[in-house]
Amino acid sequence: MESPFYKFDLIFKLVEESDAEFILSLRTDPVHARYLTHTDNNLQKQIEWIRTYKKREKKRQEYYFLFSDHNHQPLGVIRLYNITADTYTSGSWIVKPGCDEFVSIKSDLFISEFAASELKNKRCVFDVRKDNKKVLRFHKMFAKITGEDELNYYFTIDEESAKQKIKFLTSIIQPNI
Amino acid sequence: MNIEKFVREFADQFDDLDTSAFAAETLFKENDEWSSMTALSVIAMVDDVYTVRLTGDDIRNSKVIQDIYDIVLKKSNS
Repeated sequence: MESPFYKFDLIFKLVEESDAEFILSLRTDPVHARYLTHTDNNLQKQIEWIRTYKKREKKRQEYYFLFSDHNHQPLGVIRLYNITADTYTSGSWIVKPGCDEFVSIKSDLFISEFAASELKNKRCVFDVRKDNKKVLRFHKMFAKITGEDELNYYFTIDEESAKQKIKFLTSIIQPNI
Repeated sequence: MNIEKFVREFADQFDDLDTSAFAAETLFKENDEWSSMTALSVIAMVDDVYTVRLTGDDIRNSKVIQDIYDIVLKKSNS
């Protein structure tokens, strides 16, 4: 797959082993990574994880993007994984603290458009921690809750709702379109 | 719409910060919790409660909660 992608004044590139340190710094941030699956603060493990991921990427089973500003300063990551015949999951979404207010919207918009283009006829399924209130509020606008357990709400978003979400997010960052 | 209710709804988008002192004149970006996710949460709240679509520029150009309230008021009356 051709990478990087230039969208919304950001650069989205598929993750490489050389990104391990940045990813680790995000995923071990006690505040901003608190709603993600625990990651050991071990650079070598992260590099090995990326090495294994690259095999899945090659088989088009997973896409892990790092996004940067136009000065190539890394800002965050977002991932599509668990890609099956009918569904996929969007997650591992984390944005570096102190970014422009709309980096999160731009990154979610990018991954939504990418999924609409690359993973046609598939439904997005994902989970959100119950105490991750900000992300919950956002997803409840477009996605349907399909279940819950002690820790998470489980969501699905069909293609039509995904299109509405793309339209909504685009109207926020590009109101004249 | 009234500003007191709006300030409380706005403050509810902050999960960690003590927002008990939030008021119309609060500089809402001048704290440790303001982030792109908080901005998205505010936009979602305004869309849900007031059926008004805030844009990126609406947020960028606002400094205090009253600024956002005024924008929502104007858009809901147009």
